[in-house]
Amino acid sequence: MQIYLPIAELPVSILTILAMGAAVGFLSGMFGIGGGFLMTPLLIFLGIPPAVAVGTQATQIVASSVTGALAHFSRNSIDFKMGSVLLAGGIFGSLTGIYIFKLLTVIGQIDLAISVVYVGFLSVIGAMMMVESVKAIRAARGGAVAARRGGHHSWIHGLPFKMRFRRSKLYISVIPPILVGYFVGVLSAIMGVGGGFILIPAMIYLLRMPTNVVIGTSFFQIVFVAAVTGILHSVENQAVDIVLGFLLVVGGVIGAQYGVRMAEKLPAEQLRALLAAILLFIGLRLGYDLVVTPNDLYSVVEAQVTR
Amino acid sequence: MIRFASALAVVAAIALAGTARADVLVTDLSEHQIAIRSNFTGTQILLFGAVEARTPGSRAADRDIIVVVQGPVRPLTVRKKERVAGLWVNHDSVTYPAVPGYYAIASTRPLEVTAAPEALKALRIGIENINPGVPVARSIEGAVQILQPEQESAFWKALIRNKRRNGLYINLPGGVTFLGQTLFRATVDIPANVPVGLYTAKVYLLQNGEIVDTISSPLYIDKRGVEREIYRAAHEDPFLYGLIAVLVAAFAGWLASAVMNRR
Repeated sequence: MQIYLPIAELPVSILTILAMGAAVGFLSGMFGIGGGFLMTPLLIFLGIPPAVAVGTQATQIVASSVTGALAHFSRNSIDFKMGSVLLAGGIFGSLTGIYIFKLLTVIGQIDLAISVVYVGFLSVIGAMMMVESVKAIRAARGGAVAARRGGHHSWIHGLPFKMRFRRSKLYISVIPPILVGYFVGVLSAIMGVGGGFILIPAMIYLLRMPTNVVIGTSFFQIVFVAAVTGILHSVENQAVDIVLGFLLVVGGVIGAQYGVRMAEKLPAEQLRALLAAILLFIGLRLGYDLVVTPNDLYSVVEAQVTR
Repeated sequence: MIRFASALAVVAAIALAGTARADVLVTDLSEHQIAIRSNFTGTQILLFGAVEARTPGSRAADRDIIVVVQGPVRPLTVRKKERVAGLWVNHDSVTYPAVPGYYAIASTRPLEVTAAPEALKALRIGIENINPGVPVARSIEGAVQILQPEQESAFWKALIRNKRRNGLYINLPGGVTFLGQTLFRATVDIPANVPVGLYTAKVYLLQNGEIVDTISSPLYIDKRGVEREIYRAAHEDPFLYGLIAVLVAAFAGWLASAVMNRR
């Protein structure tokens, strides 16, 4: 069954979109990620213009992260104070990102920028997580106790404006979380992602937050950053397709519920290894497209009216 | 179909009644408005008409019909990728100020044998003869540059190739069929990705390669119903639109977790 999308201006199959939403929602619930890094390339592949894919994706991220955040709220695994600090940076990041997105669209390098940023982040973070989780799995099998991270002082502890985060059992400067939030906000607006796949490693390895509050806090922050990104994309580019968004959300929220349940059954290390494998695969796939000779060297776009 | 048959009967009657010097055209479209609703997956329009023969002795065999359906013009940019440090990067670009978003041409015989190429070129008939205005070429840095004619034409050919691939530029030699001596019809595909706006359907009557009559009729393609309301809301009050989109999504997320928790 086909439906015509009013903003993307093309017809799509309802079932395809619902299935994509459900599949991505499942992974998103399972790993505590927005799932945008999977969905945005899929939408662009379907022929949805990049701006519409990124803008619409933001609404889907809002829905799936609200579900995720509520699940973690009932388990008391959200650090609201840390989440708010990250969010403060995130909103400014989103504003910057929208500006960069517009600029890149005008000079015609938005597709390239999206791909390069994806390839860079997905492969680096995927590789890091893979190494880490393989080590953890080996350590668990060997019966050895994994070395406790943290405790040692790094340059982060020398920064001013320290704040106590009770839920995370941290006493650190607010500068690193604000910068992390800002950075993720920029990526969120450019890439159409919530940024969980960067936020989560940053919270674990950089801010050294306890793993049990990381996913919940990331969901909490992503809800608001994605909401701001969605509204900004609508205002700046009129690029939010509410029909497409609705279909993705319906598929996504259902998939996410099952994903959350599945995550409770799988051991954390293996879950992380699996996520790392997915990140690496998508990174390599997009990287391949950047270097292989395209079928048609020429591409046609609506001319940008320079104001 | 009944509408079509009765319309044909009318034009046939007019055709038979004619007595003056040059042959003239009588044509109509099956639809003058195409509404894009949520179930729109493309459509077809039927163009039909009759040649009112006013020159006794003129042979129908030398008669040709060319039908051109053209969509609204917009500025388009064609970009060429080049390998930079191993990556394919959009490099040079050419912007054409007035490119029709849709262009379908149907004729009784292939265009090459219908009329002289110069005549077709002068009248801008045929996909190759579209006039997109004065192109502006830019380098990757955004500076205006001058391209060799053959380089520039590669960009224009790429644009046509792209439009053909998307089903927006259509060439149908033999797409106009005569039913008997005077009646003719042509069916033109309107794909789902068609741009909205005011279209014109032009019919040319040629006798021995000379144009003897032309008729132009308008065709509106527009979004209707929910599609139109959504599009309007997104452009007229984008902040409210974005806010609603986000709130609906947040509500859906909450609803999902509320439903799943109750089970």
